[in-house]
Amino acid sequence: MTSSFLSHLECSGCSEKFAHAEIQTFCPICQSPLLCRYDLKPVSQSVDRNEITHRKKGMWRWHELLPVINTENQIFLGEGDTPLLSLPHLEKELGLFNLLVKDESSNPTGSFKARGLAAAISKAKELGVEKVIIPTAGNAGGAMAAYAARAGLRAYIFMPKDTPFANIEESRMAGAEVILVDGLISDAAGMAGIKAREEGWFDVSTFKEPYRVEGKKVMGYELAESFDWQLPDVIIYPTGGGTGLVGMWKAFDELEALGWLENKKRPRMVSVQADGCAPVVKAFNQGASFCDFWLNAHTIASGLRVPKSFADHIILKDIYESQGTAIAVSDETILESQRQLAAMEGIFAAPEGAATLAALKELIKQGWLQPEERIVLFNTGSGLKYLEYPNQE
Amino acid sequence: MSNNILYIEDNPDNMRLVQRALESRGYHLLQAKNGLLGVQMAESESVDLILLDINLPDIDGYEVARRLRASSKRQLALTPIIAVTANALKGDAEKALEAGCDVYMSKPINIRELWARVEAFVPTP
Repeated sequence: MTSSFLSHLECSGCSEKFAHAEIQTFCPICQSPLLCRYDLKPVSQSVDRNEITHRKKGMWRWHELLPVINTENQIFLGEGDTPLLSLPHLEKELGLFNLLVKDESSNPTGSFKARGLAAAISKAKELGVEKVIIPTAGNAGGAMAAYAARAGLRAYIFMPKDTPFANIEESRMAGAEVILVDGLISDAAGMAGIKAREEGWFDVSTFKEPYRVEGKKVMGYELAESFDWQLPDVIIYPTGGGTGLVGMWKAFDELEALGWLENKKRPRMVSVQADGCAPVVKAFNQGASFCDFWLNAHTIASGLRVPKSFADHIILKDIYESQGTAIAVSDETILESQRQLAAMEGIFAAPEGAATLAALKELIKQGWLQPEERIVLFNTGSGLKYLEYPNQE
Repeated sequence: MSNNILYIEDNPDNMRLVQRALESRGYHLLQAKNGLLGVQMAESESVDLILLDINLPDIDGYEVARRLRASSKRQLALTPIIAVTANALKGDAEKALEAGCDVYMSKPINIRELWARVEAFVPTP
């Protein structure tokens, strides 16, 4: 059954169009990421936004706006429809009135990575791919392994050797071949790229294929739906590869084009990085269009140890367009915020998610936020996957 | 003002891509397929900027950068060098900068970023 209104792929750099029925990676002309484009007019004419709300829960209830053409190829492990939780104790502590967290830890494999990999692996299966490869700081590997197992695809994963044990073990349990790399995710990416080219593995690295961002964008749809088809004032989001931030901004563009939003007010997007690896923050502060490669990247938040995203120019463009900001926080404040979220609100967040609370506190100090604004933090995963870190002594 | 860019790169696909990209902006691309040839061309030709792959078949890009910086052709001590690599080994970026490169770019090379980085040193003709 045909379920998607996917029209074509478009280069985010040079706007060249590409067919979606063929396997694509990134733009061969200018080497920028490819993005999915949909026939939005027929969607707006034939789909009622409120009807989507009543469909079976999960990411695929947005199937008209996702890239998988045949419903039989949708690989579903329960991803999506994560809770948007109020944070009443932190609100009081911080003098805010509308503080929420989108808690992505309830996704399959315990992180938001499930969304992107659900979309990418489903589409890979639809296109006849049989073996997939990924470089990962951790959670993306676990997610890819799970979805590849479900789809019957072979999986090959390159991870830094200091990746949390849970990520290594979950990937191996799902049958993936795991190679531990003495280096960072950028080093793993180089190795994965070489293996992909030499042996014909399909590389699902962040933004080097067009579909992970489609799964991630659903976080934006869900937010709009949760706020009765309006958007919050501020979204504070941890940024490694930046798929979620780019995906949500793309979702807001699509929702606006569909006429599904009640007004045109967009959130200010805040990109949060660790001060030991903050290429987006540095570029933002310089007003640059691209990031410099971050040297000697280090932080306990392994998902933030990305020295340079392949989509850096899109991340920066979206932050500028949203009139947002970028902010770096220390590992100490991440750990302190992780304890605070758990002790005050009962949410054991991943360090990347805790970084958003650390950033929130700094933005309050700077006077960048108004107390009455609707602010959404993103907890991208479960703290249970990082048990070797100092908070768990 | 001259606009000669030397690209030291053994991969013909990358060479073609960069040639097309830079020539479309009016630059003139000099091509070297290995490190030793690259050093030789940098010393014998007028070069305004060098794009340097790190994984070369003879001497690696770090050694190329060191030789360029130590060259008897004094101008090469100041010629901008942009290292370009698939960063397959740990610390490539750090090593490239230590060897004398000014900027590090990872592959795949985003053409818009390449234009911006080249133009920062050599204005578009």
